[in-house]
Amino acid sequence: MTAISPADQAVIGQALLSAAREMGAKLCRSAFSPIVRDAKDASTGLMDATGAAVVQSDELIPVLVGSLSVTLRRCMQAVPPETLREGDFYLTNHPYHGAHHLQDILVFMPAFVDGRIIAYAAAVAHHLDVGGGAPGLNSSATDLYGEGLILPPARWNFARDWQDGNLRTLIGANIRVPDQTLGDIESQFAACFTGIARLRELCARHGTATVEAAMAGQIAYVERRVRAAVAALPDGTYVGEDFVDDDGAGSGPLRVRATVTVAGDSLAVDFAGSAPQVRTHMNAPYASVVSGTLAALKSFLTTDDVPFNEGAARAVTITVPEGTLLNPRFPAPVRARMEATYRAHDAVLKALGAAVPERAVATGFDTTTAFCLSHLQDGRYRVFIELRDGGYGAHAGADGCDAITGPLSNCTNVPVEAIDADHDFFRIEAFALLPGTGGRGQHRGGNGSIRRYRILRDGVRLAIYTDRFRVAAEGLMGGEPGALGGCVIRRGAEKISVRSKDDVVLRAGDVLEMWTGGGGGYGPPDARPDALLAADARLAQEP
Amino acid sequence: MSDSTPRRLAVGVEIGGTFTDLVAIGPDGVRVAKVPSTPARPDEAVFDVLDAAGLNPSDIAEFVHGSTVATNAVLERKGARLALLATEGFRDVLILGRQDRLRLFDLRYRRPKPLVAREDSLGVPERMLADGSTLTPFDAEAFAPRLAAFLDRGRYDAVAICLLNAYANPAHEQALAALVRRIAPGLRVTCSHEVTGEFREYERASTTALSAYVQPVLDAYLGRMEQRLEAGGFRGELSVMQSGGGRVPAAAMRRNAASALLSGPAAGVMGAVRQAAQSGVRDIITLDIGGTSADVALVEAGRPAMTRDALVDGLVVQMPMLDITTVGAGGGSIAWVDEGGMLRVGPRSAGADPGPACYGRGDTQPTLTDAHVIAGRIPSGKRLAGGLVMDGAAARAAFAPLAAQLGLSVESAADSVVRIAVASVVAAVRLVSTERGHDPRSFVLVPYGGAGPLHAAAVAEELGIARVLVPPGAGVLSAYGLLAADHSLFAARTRRLTIAPGAAAEVRQEIAALRSDLAGRFDALGVAGDRRLEVTLDMRLLGQAFEIGVPLPAEALETLDEAALLAGFAAAHERIYRAPVDTARRPVEVVSYRVALHAARAALPGLAGPRRLDGQGDGPLLIEDATATIWVPPGWTAAEDAAGNLLLTRAP
Repeated sequence: MTAISPADQAVIGQALLSAAREMGAKLCRSAFSPIVRDAKDASTGLMDATGAAVVQSDELIPVLVGSLSVTLRRCMQAVPPETLREGDFYLTNHPYHGAHHLQDILVFMPAFVDGRIIAYAAAVAHHLDVGGGAPGLNSSATDLYGEGLILPPARWNFARDWQDGNLRTLIGANIRVPDQTLGDIESQFAACFTGIARLRELCARHGTATVEAAMAGQIAYVERRVRAAVAALPDGTYVGEDFVDDDGAGSGPLRVRATVTVAGDSLAVDFAGSAPQVRTHMNAPYASVVSGTLAALKSFLTTDDVPFNEGAARAVTITVPEGTLLNPRFPAPVRARMEATYRAHDAVLKALGAAVPERAVATGFDTTTAFCLSHLQDGRYRVFIELRDGGYGAHAGADGCDAITGPLSNCTNVPVEAIDADHDFFRIEAFALLPGTGGRGQHRGGNGSIRRYRILRDGVRLAIYTDRFRVAAEGLMGGEPGALGGCVIRRGAEKISVRSKDDVVLRAGDVLEMWTGGGGGYGPPDARPDALLAADARLAQEP
Repeated sequence: MSDSTPRRLAVGVEIGGTFTDLVAIGPDGVRVAKVPSTPARPDEAVFDVLDAAGLNPSDIAEFVHGSTVATNAVLERKGARLALLATEGFRDVLILGRQDRLRLFDLRYRRPKPLVAREDSLGVPERMLADGSTLTPFDAEAFAPRLAAFLDRGRYDAVAICLLNAYANPAHEQALAALVRRIAPGLRVTCSHEVTGEFREYERASTTALSAYVQPVLDAYLGRMEQRLEAGGFRGELSVMQSGGGRVPAAAMRRNAASALLSGPAAGVMGAVRQAAQSGVRDIITLDIGGTSADVALVEAGRPAMTRDALVDGLVVQMPMLDITTVGAGGGSIAWVDEGGMLRVGPRSAGADPGPACYGRGDTQPTLTDAHVIAGRIPSGKRLAGGLVMDGAAARAAFAPLAAQLGLSVESAADSVVRIAVASVVAAVRLVSTERGHDPRSFVLVPYGGAGPLHAAAVAEELGIARVLVPPGAGVLSAYGLLAADHSLFAARTRRLTIAPGAAAEVRQEIAALRSDLAGRFDALGVAGDRRLEVTLDMRLLGQAFEIGVPLPAEALETLDEAALLAGFAAAHERIYRAPVDTARRPVEVVSYRVALHAARAALPGLAGPRRLDGQGDGPLLIEDATATIWVPPGWTAAEDAAGNLLLTRAP
């Protein structure tokens, strides 16, 4: 391999990372769907000719970290790269071939330089609708087919199949909002073209061999940093466990168990002992578990200046037994994979915390709360969807953060003034912090929040999936667990409980309250200093 | 000068982190001065630099000032003791925000410290709706006792009021403000509808709180300065820079301080625009490299790119402001090797004091400036602007351990560090250009700041930019920019309106109302000058969650019709999304109006200094002027034009 100077390595490495970021910015800015534009539920990156991730945009959401290689390699198995020509691309959304769920469509485009593939540009985005049994979210699907259009790993040609229509027409015919979804796929292509253009510029400027050496060097660099961080952990085997409340059809809690083995500078995570797969869409496919695990390792082991790539995967082995909640067998549905992915993330953090107690962070609320109100009015559906917050776990240095987006996402809430302007079938009456919901401790867990909605029309439908209504975020070192989340309907004097995975028809005048829970506390509550107790009291004070 | 030219000078004084700079322009020409900043009492340096320039306040007809006083008050949390009044049920608006994080992968994440504690916020029983109608009336008499008890307990300096949907109907905010003034006459009150007329309650509340928080600090600072200037005989006009790149009379800023936040880097951009225009160059990318960071902005046809919000210490401020990208690469940036063996430059900086090793003040860490001393681009042993003598031996000594660690010679390690710093700046330029749909190659790079002209050609080379324009006095260009800026007032207002027959008339009316409001404020402040209106509408397809900015040409406003509105939207949509939009089939709405009224500053001479180059010079070539060092690499040629700008051109 070509030797590379420190300056070339740093300069080209930085240029590759900024290319991945530029791809991400291009994708998000030009996307139609708010899921991509606002929640940044997308990812972009550059992979080398073997399918190894070299750089991934680090400004989009964490849940897609580290799984792009898994998918690309499945595509390369399905269609050998030797058969690819300039203008070809791979496209898939198959959760049993490396995707997270059907809503995530992945595009990989080879970068040819001097007639050979030196790299791939990758772009994935969460799409609003990919067909299936219900708009956006079909919680009653019993298999993958019910969840939407399945696009297996395959090779297509941009000019022939997309611009001139075949693939485009086929996808467009199977989805409910073709303008938006097709437009968003086009943004993915645009991102890939940008990545390839930057890569070619770099080759022209520095020489292809130097750029390839820099890509290899970037992977080796991340591997060295991750291995150095792993080597600093004491050797041994550590176990962490957490639970998904239920599968939404009456069975649960569902165990998620991570066994982390540290041996020198290598780390292995095994999810043996996790619950069997379920019949509802609460299963998480393998790629999601890889991402959840790598995100936990990245936040625990390294500072935020380590751009994760294949190097991290080389230092870490992840094993998930087939037929479990975390690696179900085809064709189990997987749409709501985030809750199990969060528990995998939490179980790995607990195991790491056991390895290095002084750096441990108590478990957070760490839940995706998808909250959807819809109403059929004059033959037209009006849909409101928002994602909620929760408290983070406390640690030896400080309290957990209050009411903030989960660690695997970065979604914003919807402004009350935007809701007031856009929706006439409900109104938000309160949005407040819930002091006291963070687990007590020397350092307290972060608090959750409550939102109160007044329903203004009969027949408004609530669809919700969330978690931690039954299993709280645990405390650490004597800290107490965070409070549970919950949801009720107040109908006159009546109080109706809503389950964490539910679908309910509401009436005008109903008041719906949905609250998120807190993170776990750290250290014994009686060790909390007076000044902080006084601050808690001030926080809880109602004027 | 004091005797010969009484009260005819225009003087700009810009306080930076390291130096405080002055540019004075009068009938006799231009003079510049530079003194060390005095961060503990920033106004001291203002009078130091007047002394250094030999100026007396009585010489000055027009004094324009730029400082980071407002921003620093936030960074150091040294603003007002503040209370928040919000709609009942929503008093946590500042604490909860939009629930997103500024950093990912951080389980120990902490929110930026809010400016108002929870116990200092009070819910107010009232509720307006989005159409401006009242759902729950505000009963001032019933609320008065609770408010009085709350204010009495808190001993506040100031109150920020942000009620839901006040952008649509400010009546409740006005009634509440009147009640506060009645109960506590000494309190300063800031209402959200007066700070910004836009929807989205968190962003508006945050901007309102920031404004209320810094206002007493800025008011006191400007008051003190005005007093001292007047004591020295100053009878002219005092104005200050805003983050949007225009200035306003100090009296206006003392009442509404939000536009002072992030005004720091704006002056330099305006100076670069004006100075490049002297050479007929209007599409530029500005590059300001100082001691700790590099600021980059894009200017098209003489108009700097704007953004509508930004963060101050993690807190949202929603104001029209120049779209400036900052990276941690400056002369003081420290080079190091991380635990994975990667050579890095910054973000830690040796700052101005002790500064780089070559300053000879005892710091021994290798910096970007040391790398240039080693490479000979900053001459060792020579006295520079600001009085420092560069110690080449100290620079080499600082680089020796780094070079050994990398297995390189000291020269080659220094060269590597410069290349990496240049790569950081290149990434920032890409962010403001290619990432926003502009090709950097069709722009001219305009460097300034102490270290800008040293790096500009290398940055241009990497980006394929063929021309670099180095203004004279590049080290004091920000101070010149204060004088170059127009007076500007900005207004924004959310008024949703679907484009249908008759809509254009409403749009014209709304714009006319905003214009006359701004014009009235200019008149009240006594601001003269030719006025120029800039209008941008935030528009979207009905049902979209995001608006796009649609600029309306001022000359077309009189005859604006629905077709023109739709065409403007379609064009902007296509530019941003690269996809055509069928406005015949899908309804389009206006969401917000953004209006800027500029009062042009009178003709201003350029910042020409002594000639720096006779004829044409071919690189490699080092050119020094009084405030900066200019590096012309091999393959580039330099020539000075009639405006005094040095034009660097890459050989084709």
